[in-house]
Amino acid sequence: MFGVLDISTSALVAQRQRMIAIAQNMAISSAAVDPNGNPDDFRRRIVVFAPGDPATDKPDGVHVKEVLYDQGPFRKALEPGHKFADKDGYVRYANIDPMMEMVNAVEATRAYEANITMAEATKNMMQASLRLLV
Amino acid sequence: MPLIHGMFDSGALPAAERLVQFTDRRQKVLADNVAGLSTPFFKPRDLDPRLFQAALRDAIDQRRASVSPTSGPLEIENTAQLQFHEDGIRTRPQPIHENILFHDQNNRDLERLMQRVAENTMAHRLGIELVRNGLGIIRTAISERIG
Repeated sequence: MFGVLDISTSALVAQRQRMIAIAQNMAISSAAVDPNGNPDDFRRRIVVFAPGDPATDKPDGVHVKEVLYDQGPFRKALEPGHKFADKDGYVRYANIDPMMEMVNAVEATRAYEANITMAEATKNMMQASLRLLV
Repeated sequence: MPLIHGMFDSGALPAAERLVQFTDRRQKVLADNVAGLSTPFFKPRDLDPRLFQAALRDAIDQRRASVSPTSGPLEIENTAQLQFHEDGIRTRPQPIHENILFHDQNNRDLERLMQRVAENTMAHRLGIELVRNGLGIIRTAISERIG
């Protein structure tokens, strides 16, 4: 039964890492792309989950396999006076849609709460089992 | 849970023990399903409690028809999902095909999943109480004192 808590914990950790990526996306959603900087810094981060838990070396549970950068096109706005504008006067902005990130945040929160409920149920079962000793 | 043969094989104790073992194994499978809610291509699995109940019922009926109907170990037949050993149950969870597939081919259904968790938790609690009751009767008999 103790292994069951490891599964729920791995999911909580993965969902928290996903929320961190979502928070980073929201933070840079209105940032203009610096032509002299690294373009990946202004791309949407996508967290990819995979089965298995490296912390316990077991096939159960879930972990963050990798964090990808959305290679979709940047959003362009016509701002000829902007210091980051190109020769045509367009400024590129981070390819992040705040609405999409909010939906992802809601889904991540829902999954986090579901795993908390699962961990609580497992804890209750373990406590009930301990009553056999009394 | 290792038991001393004869003393702990009477009444409902063997069935209650098996129930606790089954709910214990199923809890792990359900936890894995909840953990995989956001994992692409994850296939939720489960152990069917109806198949377990049917196997347990057949074993109890078999014992009732034997020379010692209220005592003795339960001989439970293995199923595709469950292999019963002296020390526990080896399980082979099967995929759930109840919901439509999402675009990432994960057929997540949180509501039914939490329902299964709730039912499993209650069944586990029932099994523990039955085992506790049975051990309490033995403890009373050993103490030669009632109350």
